[in-house]
Amino acid sequence: MQRNDALRPVPAPEPGAVDTKRPNPSRLPMTTRWLRGLAFNRIGAVYVWLGIVVVFSIWVPSTFPTLSTVKQVFNANALTALAALAITIPLAARVFDLSFAYTMTLSGVITAHFLGVGVPLVPAVLLGLGAGVLIGVINAVVVVVMRIDSFIGTLATGSLIQALITMATGGTAIISTRLQGGFAKIGQTNVSGFTLPVAYVLVVAIAMWFLLEHTATGRRLYATGFNSDAAKLAGVRVDRLRFMSLVVSGSLAGAAGLVLASTIGSGDPSAGTSYLLPAFAAAFLGATQLKHGRFNAFGTLIAVLLLGTGTTGLGLANAPQWAADMFVGAVLIASLAVTGIQRRSVTGSPGRLRSLLQRFRAVAG
Amino acid sequence: MMLLSLRWTSLIPEHRAHEESRLLMSPQAAVIADNPHLGVSPAALRVEGLSKTFPGTRGLIDAAIEIRPGEVHALVGQNGSGKSTLIKTLAGYHMPDPGALAEIAGEPFALGETVPEDLRFVHQDLGLVLELSAMDNLALRGGFIRGRAGRIRWREQERETYRILDRFDVELDIHRPLAEATPVQRTVVAIAGALQGWHGGRGVLVLDEPTAVLPHDEVERLLAMVREVRRSGTSVLYVSHRLDEIFEIADRVTVLRAGRVVRTLPVADVDHRSLAQLMVGTDVDPDYRAPVADRPDSPVVLELRDVHGRRLHGLSLQVHRGEILGVAGLPGDGVQELPYALAGHARHPVRGEIRLPQRSSAWSELADARQLGIPLVPADRAHEAIVSEFTVRENLTLSVLDRIGSRGRLDAAAEQGLVARWTERLAVVAASAEVPVSTLSGGNQQKVVLARCLARDPELLVLAEPTAGVDVGTRVAIYELIAGLARDGLTVIVSSSDLGDLLAMCTRIVVLRDGRVGAELGAEGLTEHELVNAIEGERSAHGANNATQ
Repeated sequence: MQRNDALRPVPAPEPGAVDTKRPNPSRLPMTTRWLRGLAFNRIGAVYVWLGIVVVFSIWVPSTFPTLSTVKQVFNANALTALAALAITIPLAARVFDLSFAYTMTLSGVITAHFLGVGVPLVPAVLLGLGAGVLIGVINAVVVVVMRIDSFIGTLATGSLIQALITMATGGTAIISTRLQGGFAKIGQTNVSGFTLPVAYVLVVAIAMWFLLEHTATGRRLYATGFNSDAAKLAGVRVDRLRFMSLVVSGSLAGAAGLVLASTIGSGDPSAGTSYLLPAFAAAFLGATQLKHGRFNAFGTLIAVLLLGTGTTGLGLANAPQWAADMFVGAVLIASLAVTGIQRRSVTGSPGRLRSLLQRFRAVAG
Repeated sequence: MMLLSLRWTSLIPEHRAHEESRLLMSPQAAVIADNPHLGVSPAALRVEGLSKTFPGTRGLIDAAIEIRPGEVHALVGQNGSGKSTLIKTLAGYHMPDPGALAEIAGEPFALGETVPEDLRFVHQDLGLVLELSAMDNLALRGGFIRGRAGRIRWREQERETYRILDRFDVELDIHRPLAEATPVQRTVVAIAGALQGWHGGRGVLVLDEPTAVLPHDEVERLLAMVREVRRSGTSVLYVSHRLDEIFEIADRVTVLRAGRVVRTLPVADVDHRSLAQLMVGTDVDPDYRAPVADRPDSPVVLELRDVHGRRLHGLSLQVHRGEILGVAGLPGDGVQELPYALAGHARHPVRGEIRLPQRSSAWSELADARQLGIPLVPADRAHEAIVSEFTVRENLTLSVLDRIGSRGRLDAAAEQGLVARWTERLAVVAASAEVPVSTLSGGNQQKVVLARCLARDPELLVLAEPTAGVDVGTRVAIYELIAGLARDGLTVIVSSSDLGDLLAMCTRIVVLRDGRVGAELGAEGLTEHELVNAIEGERSAHGANNATQ
C-alpha cells in the first residue's frame, strides 16, 4: 500500500456537508440505537400487529388472548412463512419465482407417490427434494441462460409443472397408509403445542439472515437487485448469483412442499397453489420492515405474523369467509402506501398529505 | 470549428482577500446593482429570499434570481452549490422554507406548491418515453388531436408534430421510437415538447444541464436551438457545468456557491478565469497540469493486439508502467468502447488479444478480459457505478467484499476501517459512511466509485469520463489523486470526451480514428489547439483522402 502515501488529501470544502470523521451510527449509544430500532418507519408492521392484538382481545376476549391462539397462529402460518422465505432470496436479486407454489405441490406429490408404492422414507424424501432442486435449475436456465424475464418465465414453468402433476395424478390426491408413519412426523410432531415446521421456519430464517446480512454473497445479491449493471461492472457475477438464487428457491420450495404433504397427510395435486399470493404478500410487506426496501428474512416473518394474526382473529370472531382476504388486501395496500409516503418525506420531497393531494390533483386534472 | 473546448478545471491555492470581500456582498444588492431595469418592466421570473433547509444541511440560503424577458440566463456553481435545489424548488419538487417570494411576469406564485404555466422545464434526463416515437412524446405533453369517440386523428397529429419541430433544424423520423434517435435529437424533442402551447414568445424555459449527455460535436446544435428559443422572445434559464457554453450563449450569469447567490452579472463582464473564480472562491489556472512523471523506459504492463469490436477495427496498443494514457477521438471512433472492452464488459462482442506482461507472457482473448479483473470507473455514474439504495460504505466495498473477513463472512470492523481509510484518503465529504450514497454530490459519488476501484490495489486502472458531472474543485482533486498514484507505479488509461481531463493529467494521448490509433501525442507542451486538430482537423483531411481515392 506504499503507493498511497502519495495521496495528499485535497481540501474540498463543500457546503453544508459535515466531515466523515463523526462517529457513525453503529457506534451510537445503546439507548439511541434501541430507540432508532423501534422507530415506526422501521418496524411499522409490529405496531400494526400490536393494534390488531388489542382490537381482537377486546372483540373476542374469551378466545383470542389465549395461549392456544398463539400456538394456532404459529402452527397455521409456518408453511406460509417457509414459502415466503423461499422467494426472499431471488427477490433480493430482483428475480421472481412464481413457480415456487407448483414446485411445492410437485415435491409433495412425488414423495407421496414413491412412499405409496413402497419406497422407504429417506429415498422418497430425497426424490421429493431433488425434484425441487431440478425445478430450480430449470428455472435458472430459462431465466439466466435463455434470458427470459423471470416473471413470465417462472409463470410458464409453473404452468408446465402443474400440467405435469395433473397428468400424472389424474387430479386426485395420493392417499396411502404409508404416509402415516415416519413421514407424518416431519410436519405433525408436536413439541409443547408447537409443531415442528415452526422450528424449520426459525432455522431457515436465521440462516437466511446470516447470508443476507453477514456474507459477501448477501451484499452482492442486494447489489444485483438494486442495480445489476453497476454490480456487474464492479465485478459481481450477476448471472451466477441469479442462477443460484433460483436454485435455492426451488430447493426451499421443494422442502416446504414435503412439509406440507406431511402435514396434510396426502399428495394433493393442488396443495401449493394457495400459498402463491400470501407468500408474495408477506415478502413484499416484509421488505418494508427493518431494512428499508430490502427483502429480508425477519421482515418477512414479521409480515407473516401480522397477516396470520389478523386472519386467525377474524376466524375466532366468526367473521365471514371473505373477511380474511379483504383484511390481507387492505393491510398490504395501507402498509405499502404508508412506507412509501414516509420514504418520500425523508428524501425531502413534499410532505405526506401534500404529496397525496398533489397526486390526486394530477389524477383528477 | 471550435466545437471542442476546455472545461475550466484548475485551482491555484492562492487567496485574494479583497476579491473575496467584494464577491460576498449581499445577493439582493448584487442583483439590484446589475439590474437598471428593476421596477420598469416586470421580470420574466423573479425569486427572492429563497432558503431551503434539509436535514443536516442548508441547500439554499436567501437566494435571489431575476430573469429578464428574452434573455438567456446562465446558472452556474459547483456540485452541491444549490443549483439543483433551486431548480427543483422552482419545479415544485422541494418545499422552500417560509418567506420566499416568487413572481412570474409580475404575477406572484407559491414556490413548491404551484408551478406556473409559463415556467417550463427540460430536466437532465429529458423526461421522454424512449419506447415511444417523437410524435407520441410530443402529444403526451401537448395532448392528442382527437375526433369522435376519442379517436386520434393521426394525420393531423402528424402535421402538428412537423409544425412543432419545424422551427428547430432537425432531421428525425417522427414515427420511430426515440430510443433509436441520437441524444441531440432527443433533446430537440424534449425542448420542443416543453415549449408547446406558447405563442409569441413568453415564459421561462429552464434547461438543466442540457449538454451533459451530448457528444461534444453536437453541443453547437443545441446552442443553436437555444438561440432560436431566445429569438422568439422566451427567456431561458440555462444550467451547465461547461463554462465555455455559457460564454457562447448566455446574456447574464448567476453564480451560486455554498447555497448562496454570489453574484449576478452580465457575461460580457467576466472571463473564464474570473467566472471560475467566483464559483470556487479561489483563483483558477486554465493551464493547469497535474504533476505527472513521464517514464518511457518503464516496462510494458498492458498490450493489446488487433482489437475489433463494434467501433474498434484493428486497434493495437502498448502501455507502460506509471503512464497515464489518454484516449481521445470522435464518438464513432471507439473511444467509448475501449474502456469497457478492457474491463471485459463490452456491450458488443469484441475480438482481439490482451497481455499483461508483468503477470504472464501469454496472450489471452480480450473477450475473456473480465478474468484479468482490471477495475473500471464507468462513464455513466448513476446507471453503471452507483447503487443508489446502498450506503456510502456498501458502495465503496462492493468490489473488495472477498477481502473483508474470511470464508464469505463479512467482518464489520474490517469493513468500517477500510471505508474510513479510503474516505479520508480521497477526502470524501459525507455526513457519515452510513448515509445513502445518493445524498452525496456528484463529485463525492465519483470519489466513492474511484475508491471502490483503488481499494483493490490494482496495477492498472481504466477511467471512462472520470469527471462527467463533477465540479471544478473535485475535478482537480481527482487529477492530482490519479497523478500521485501514477507516480507510484499505477498505470492509468483515461478515455474522455472532455479534453480538459486529457490535457490535465495524461502523459501520452492516443487519438483513435476509425477504430485504430490514428495519432499519438506526447503530453509535454501539448496545447488544446493541437489536440483538437489531431481529433478534428486531420479527420477532415483523412475524409478528403478517402474521397479522392
